[in-house]
Amino acid sequence: METQSEEQAVTKPADSGGEGGPPQVAGAQAARPEDRMTLLLRLRAQTKQQLLEYKAMVDANEEKTPEQIMQEKQIEAKIEELENEVEEAKIAFEMKKLALDRMQLSTALKKHLEKTDIKTSVLMDNMKQILNLNKLIMKSQQETWDLEEKLLDVRKKRLQLKQASERKLLEIQTEKNKQKEDLDSMENSDKIKTIQQNLETEIQITTVIQNVFQNLILGSKVNWAEDPALKETVLQLEKNLTMI
Amino acid sequence: MSALRPLDKLPGLNTATILLVGTEDALLQQLADSMLKEDCTSELKVHLARSLPLPCSVNRPRIDLIVFVVNLHSKHSLQNVEESLCHLDAAFFLGKVTFLATGAGRDSHCSIHRNTVVRLAHTYRSPLLFCDLEIEDFRATMAQRLVRLLQICAGHVPGVSALNLLSLLRGSENPSLEEAL
Repeated sequence: METQSEEQAVTKPADSGGEGGPPQVAGAQAARPEDRMTLLLRLRAQTKQQLLEYKAMVDANEEKTPEQIMQEKQIEAKIEELENEVEEAKIAFEMKKLALDRMQLSTALKKHLEKTDIKTSVLMDNMKQILNLNKLIMKSQQETWDLEEKLLDVRKKRLQLKQASERKLLEIQTEKNKQKEDLDSMENSDKIKTIQQNLETEIQITTVIQNVFQNLILGSKVNWAEDPALKETVLQLEKNLTMI
Repeated sequence: MSALRPLDKLPGLNTATILLVGTEDALLQQLADSMLKEDCTSELKVHLARSLPLPCSVNRPRIDLIVFVVNLHSKHSLQNVEESLCHLDAAFFLGKVTFLATGAGRDSHCSIHRNTVVRLAHTYRSPLLFCDLEIEDFRATMAQRLVRLLQICAGHVPGVSALNLLSLLRGSENPSLEEAL
């Protein structure tokens, strides 16, 4: 079953003044030769390029392509390899062209310098300008470098300070914790308990003695309010020792 | 109905021929008109086709560049393109084939995902261009690009060949594909 596909063709003749095809021969003879030359040169370049392409195709067709059925992954890998080869060939060519151009440029420059007067040449002005700019660039780069160094130093110092403060805070915290622990342990130790017990017994004994003295003095029916020394003693005996 | 081969005919003097393949006739016609309006030192010939293979009966010049136009709004156009690709000689894919995806602007109407077209272009190692052919300005810009591409593929630009251009265009594509995979 053949698919009927439509096809339309649209054409356009060549454009732009002067470079028309052969039909446009009319016009001033003086202007035409130049345009014709350009046209001819352009056509020559075109034909050269096209010839190059055909030659390349012929060379390519001489290489036998492997006909075996490969996995798709393998085909992809092979294609990538070939593409890389093309890239490398291109790069190598570009490098060589660059080197060649540089050599040509330097020879031309040398010849030119030999001919012209060195002091007044525009070339020398350009070169001086280039040198000045380079110096400026180098200076700016140096300044940038210095500033970056300073920045780096400041950052380092900040980091060190941060670390030091972290350490200090940690120390403070450990000290606090230790104190708290000591306090807690102290409260729970046995020594304290025995001391407390002793204190209590002493207080009780003293209270008993106080009461005994009180009763003695009151029982002796002495007027203790008249004698200031005795008054003081009695009042002192009233002191409740548990409050101390 | 043989496969289309790239270099089986001799080139016409100062002539460059482009073949636009796609299902959207109106868009192709508009694109063809924009291309013909462009200033170009070579003679341009634009052929339009809905699908390959082309009928043998017509005497046509050597085709320098084939552009497959895929409309992201219709799956049919993608299918059509995929079927047409089988009828091309492998030598065409050395820089003489380009894919053009249109309709990416209106995301809500897109039934084909962008990645599908990207992968298609990657499988065939050909450049993929995106353009909204319905908008006049974009169409004019794309026409300019296509004219330039065509000139290179026809050999009218000394020093640059289709294969050269292909490897130049390839550099920007790979990163996005790798992150998609």
